[in-house]
Amino acid sequence: MFNVATGGRRRRAFCTMAVCVAVITKENYPLYISNVPAANELKFHYTVHTSLDVVEEKLSAVGKTTSDLRELYLGLLYPTEDYKVYPLMCETHPPSTPPPPPIPIFVGDGMVFRSCPRAHAFESRYGYVANTKVKFVIVIDSSNTSFRDNEIRSMFRKLHTAYTDVMCNPFYTPGDPIQSKTFDDVISSMMQVC
Amino acid sequence: MTEPDYTQSAEDHQCLLVVVKPLGSISKSNFSCVFNKISSVEQATLQDSHRATWIRYKQYYPPENNDWGDFQAHRRVVGLIAVAEARGTQELALIFESFDGLRGEYGTCLYNWRMFVFGLTGEVVEQNRTDVDFVGDYERLDGLTRTVEEFTSSLFIVLESKRLDRASEKAGDKMPLLCVPFEKKDFVGLDTDSRNYRKRCQGRMRKHVGDLNLQAGLLHEALVNYHIAVETLRSINDFLWLAAALEGLCVASVVSHYGTTCMTTKARHQGASTQAEREQRSRTGTQEVLIDPGSLTTNGIGGDPSLEIGRAKNCLSPDDIVEKYREAISFYAKYRQAAVIELEACIKAVRVLALQKKRSEAADFLQNAIYIHVDVTEDERIQRYSVLSELYERIGFRRKAAFFKRISAMQCVRAALPEPGWKACYELLLDTLQGYNISLDNPQSSTESHHGWPAVQLRILHELVYSAQRMGNPALSVHHLTFLLHSMLDFLSEQEKKEVSQTLERYAASCRGHSTTLEIRESLKVQPIALSKLPIVRSMKLINLPPNLRPVKLKSGDGLSTPISSSSPFIYSPIVVQQRREQRANQIDFQWVQGDVCEVQLMVYNPMPFELRVENMGLLTSGVEFESLPAALSLPAESGLYPVTLVGVPKIPGPITIAGYHTEVFGIPSRCMLQNLPHCKVMCSTVEVVPALPLTQLTTSLPRCSGLIAPSTLGDVCCNAVVRLFNGETQEVSVQLENIGKQPVESVELEVTYNHQQGDSGTCGMTWDTQELQKLIPMQPGSLVDLTLSIHANFDFSNTDGSLADTQDEMSTAPGTPFSSPARRVTRPHKEYHTPGGTPPEQNGRLGPSPLKIQEAVLLVHYTGGPGATAGYSRRLSLSILIEVEPSVVFTNLTAVPATSSQRCHLVIDVQNQMEHEVQLQSIHNDDLLLRPHENKRMAAQLHRLNGSTDGTGSPRGLQRAEAEAVCRQLGLRWLILSNGRKGEASVARVVSPAVLEQLRLAPLQWDVEVGGLTCIGEELVSTGVGKPLAVTIRLTNGTAVPAGPFCLELRPFLDFHNGLQDCALKSVAVFLGSNSSHLPQIQPAGVATFHCSCLFLFPGDFLLDIQFQDGTGQFPASWLCLPTVHVHVSEQPA
Repeated sequence: MFNVATGGRRRRAFCTMAVCVAVITKENYPLYISNVPAANELKFHYTVHTSLDVVEEKLSAVGKTTSDLRELYLGLLYPTEDYKVYPLMCETHPPSTPPPPPIPIFVGDGMVFRSCPRAHAFESRYGYVANTKVKFVIVIDSSNTSFRDNEIRSMFRKLHTAYTDVMCNPFYTPGDPIQSKTFDDVISSMMQVC
Repeated sequence: MTEPDYTQSAEDHQCLLVVVKPLGSISKSNFSCVFNKISSVEQATLQDSHRATWIRYKQYYPPENNDWGDFQAHRRVVGLIAVAEARGTQELALIFESFDGLRGEYGTCLYNWRMFVFGLTGEVVEQNRTDVDFVGDYERLDGLTRTVEEFTSSLFIVLESKRLDRASEKAGDKMPLLCVPFEKKDFVGLDTDSRNYRKRCQGRMRKHVGDLNLQAGLLHEALVNYHIAVETLRSINDFLWLAAALEGLCVASVVSHYGTTCMTTKARHQGASTQAEREQRSRTGTQEVLIDPGSLTTNGIGGDPSLEIGRAKNCLSPDDIVEKYREAISFYAKYRQAAVIELEACIKAVRVLALQKKRSEAADFLQNAIYIHVDVTEDERIQRYSVLSELYERIGFRRKAAFFKRISAMQCVRAALPEPGWKACYELLLDTLQGYNISLDNPQSSTESHHGWPAVQLRILHELVYSAQRMGNPALSVHHLTFLLHSMLDFLSEQEKKEVSQTLERYAASCRGHSTTLEIRESLKVQPIALSKLPIVRSMKLINLPPNLRPVKLKSGDGLSTPISSSSPFIYSPIVVQQRREQRANQIDFQWVQGDVCEVQLMVYNPMPFELRVENMGLLTSGVEFESLPAALSLPAESGLYPVTLVGVPKIPGPITIAGYHTEVFGIPSRCMLQNLPHCKVMCSTVEVVPALPLTQLTTSLPRCSGLIAPSTLGDVCCNAVVRLFNGETQEVSVQLENIGKQPVESVELEVTYNHQQGDSGTCGMTWDTQELQKLIPMQPGSLVDLTLSIHANFDFSNTDGSLADTQDEMSTAPGTPFSSPARRVTRPHKEYHTPGGTPPEQNGRLGPSPLKIQEAVLLVHYTGGPGATAGYSRRLSLSILIEVEPSVVFTNLTAVPATSSQRCHLVIDVQNQMEHEVQLQSIHNDDLLLRPHENKRMAAQLHRLNGSTDGTGSPRGLQRAEAEAVCRQLGLRWLILSNGRKGEASVARVVSPAVLEQLRLAPLQWDVEVGGLTCIGEELVSTGVGKPLAVTIRLTNGTAVPAGPFCLELRPFLDFHNGLQDCALKSVAVFLGSNSSHLPQIQPAGVATFHCSCLFLFPGDFLLDIQFQDGTGQFPASWLCLPTVHVHVSEQPA
């Protein structure tokens, strides 16, 4: 059961792919989120949102022990993400009342259960928290590939640098969603091949 | 084993399971009442033992789970209680039958059973069964409790005996193999004699004994047994049972560490409690604190310290508990059939870890629980997600909790369900809101800076709206949709904005008029959402009344000019300035008037990508009564700042505060309070309403001005007019004042102010008859009053301002001053053309026609009446009159020429007609002068010299002006246009230069010339005879303030041939007796110097006697030293 968290370190020189990169403010709302299969955006919103729980937990645990020399990299947050959050139109029910407008409702269902074991686990979420409590979450597509911790670290470092550049822009108001072509380029480079 | 029990906790391992079932026709409420009574008995004790066992009651337990009773003893149903209600013996028989059936269902493992029958009281029931109790009615339940206590004690006794049976079994004895249902067929035909098999039997039995010990409250024995079981089972790789033994070990340790957390609270209700229980309870009161096993010493359950130490040794540390649980669960995971066991173990472990505050480990266990596949029904699926959510909540992962709660909500309305539970879905969704940082009852919190994750918040709100709608509560869905639109506006795309607002409009149409507080559930009441972003109000400003309606505080004792009282001794202090600034920001310096329409200006902004219709927009006020007049407006898409004026009428005088505004957008009424609008700039919102005032209107006979005047020059002007005059003309204007208000006008005052932007060049005067005005008031509403104003134009009659002043200065000294020194003449050679008798200056030609002169005057009408007058307020009406003045005649040149008499003087005026009309110029002492258009003419007028003295009081400038006015009065110049009869005055007051005035003044050095006994001023003819001495006395009086002199004086006779030639060589014609010249010494102020001589003419003729005078110091102007020339007629005969 717990081997994914610790194991899975088979050394293979494959490339790591990020499927989703998110930048989250101190107040826990997203500044930037980008994902590769652009269609299933909401899923990644949920994925990143729920992983904030772990980030906060890790942060609070760290805060108790060491004072300021904190490791920015939080490591693996969740080994896998396991929900297929697919849209289900409520109109499938024959409405008794006059039909309301089609508001899509997303229903979580079809979890990857244990009977279909770890082969289906293909995403890992990694966290990184800057000193300003700005959080970075990267979801890695790890199917059939293994990756080194160092690669993830370097990705985060790259992301942090790009974020710092954005913040250096005098025309950027802190707290606004990031709309920067340069930043986009960095992210898309991370999304493809490292 | 198919149905997992999600409510289990680790402590349940030490409980005896009792199933309570209803039988017969017992009502649900009665049963639950009885069940509660029964379940209040939580502990069973033995009379002679300090130990206690816990009882767990369940209403439903699947009998097949009973088969796992060997595996984990707490899963076995050991007691059965039936609660029945019978109305007759026949029914009773049926109940007995079904009770027996129930007993059979739970098998032989039942320790004891009991049935309570209600309803059969009065009848004598044959008591042939010991296991049935007849309880009279539902009121007498105390006896029931006692019976249940007896029953549980009996369970404990059976348990104790079983435990002792098992414990007494020796290792060598043949032991039965305990196994779980799915194992049974695996062990068929196995060699029962093998060592492995024996060990398996032993290990499993040890584990079972451990369970029994745990249930019987013997923690130490349980721990020991579990340890042995673990050792034994590990050696033979019996993983399922090893896992169970490990779990048992964990459970025993948990109980040892934390006591029975969930049960102690309930135990309070129990009536009878032993000393041991009390001790236990006091120990478990500190359940939240992580207790170090070592510190558990004297206060433990057992009195035996050695037992205590032994337990501490066998007991697992908190960290070990996690590890062992982890191991156990990983062993369970090897068996698919044990999925439920694994799932329950995970949940139990999470509960323990939550207690230990090991959140991330707990999250790992929960994560695993999610993976475990169990075939469940739909209801159980919902329950499963709910429990997961609850557990996440417990470990502080509120986002995860919200996620699973939402999934659980979605399960309620799955497409597969025949009857979707929208109500349940809605309730569950409501629970998720906290996790997504949404607070329905406090929408304002989201206006400042956004909290939470917009994308997921948006989703959950959509779902909430939809489920509320499907639930059949449109008011709620309208509320939620409004909330969504309000708080998520910034995150909606244009298309979404459109859709949401259309939906909202449709929903709102279906449920009209909800604006009250909605109660979603008891703890959650929501206020109606104020759509303060549709439209966004950027600023709110109270507008002063238009100038003619503004109330003006009448002048009273306490001036408004000193708003700061002498609270501070400092003239300047930054604190005071700050306070003043704040004060100024908070108070409005104008008032509104009762009964008059008052305005508030809002700058609004429509953030929507479509036209926004705002209906019923009006003001919300506090303070005095205010009638708001709502407006409807339509804001274009993505409008910029758009000014909107909201109006209302204050009904009562007093302070009024604009608290906010109300709108209706998409059919949703909202009340937006200013205090909740941080982005709205409000200067100040409180204004004073003064009592009602009359209202008048002013009209004039003059044409309106086309608006050339800048209105700011003289304050607020509500009415304007223009009048055109010739310079010097006076015109009468009719002004009508009409009372158009509801109050009588009781007092009217007129005041006029001028705009002196043209400097000193002249003004226009406006006069009116005050007496006549006073006769006309009071004015009743609707009445009309006529006033006559006379406007007089009095501008500069000089040609131009600048250039003329200079030339005048030069001119005035030069011409007509025969005593000017030659030196001065040399320095001003260009003065030549100004000599007397010369032509008018040519420079007039190049100046061209003079432009219009414009004067702005404002006539202020202060009037008051009605209640406002008593409160000390008045209204002001202002009429701005633009007076355009055309030049009439101008005086191009003005020269003073001394007359023959030293008391008089001639003024030579060059006058030009600048009009297009023929004009007649009249003056008092002279003939009329006719001037054709643009003609220059010269006229002369004789004036008395001015006897003003230089030592007079007042400024020299004022003096000059007074002298100039006096000159004008003497002249009395008037012009008359012959063609149309318009006439006016012409004043030289501004044309007369100081130098000219100087000449017009009487000199302060007073000369008295006496010739032959005749005082000569000028023009006198002195007659004398030939050879007769003519006495000449010249007396000089110094009227100045300074010493004068010394002077040189010389008498010189000459002949004037009247052709420009003079013969001064008269030494043989006239002789002097005495000196003809004299040196006058310095004369002190008010001193007198006298000169005497006599002149003797030797021939007859007309002689002139020139008194030449030289000022040695040059301190006086030449005109002061001008002495008359004496005309002497010498006749042949001596007179």
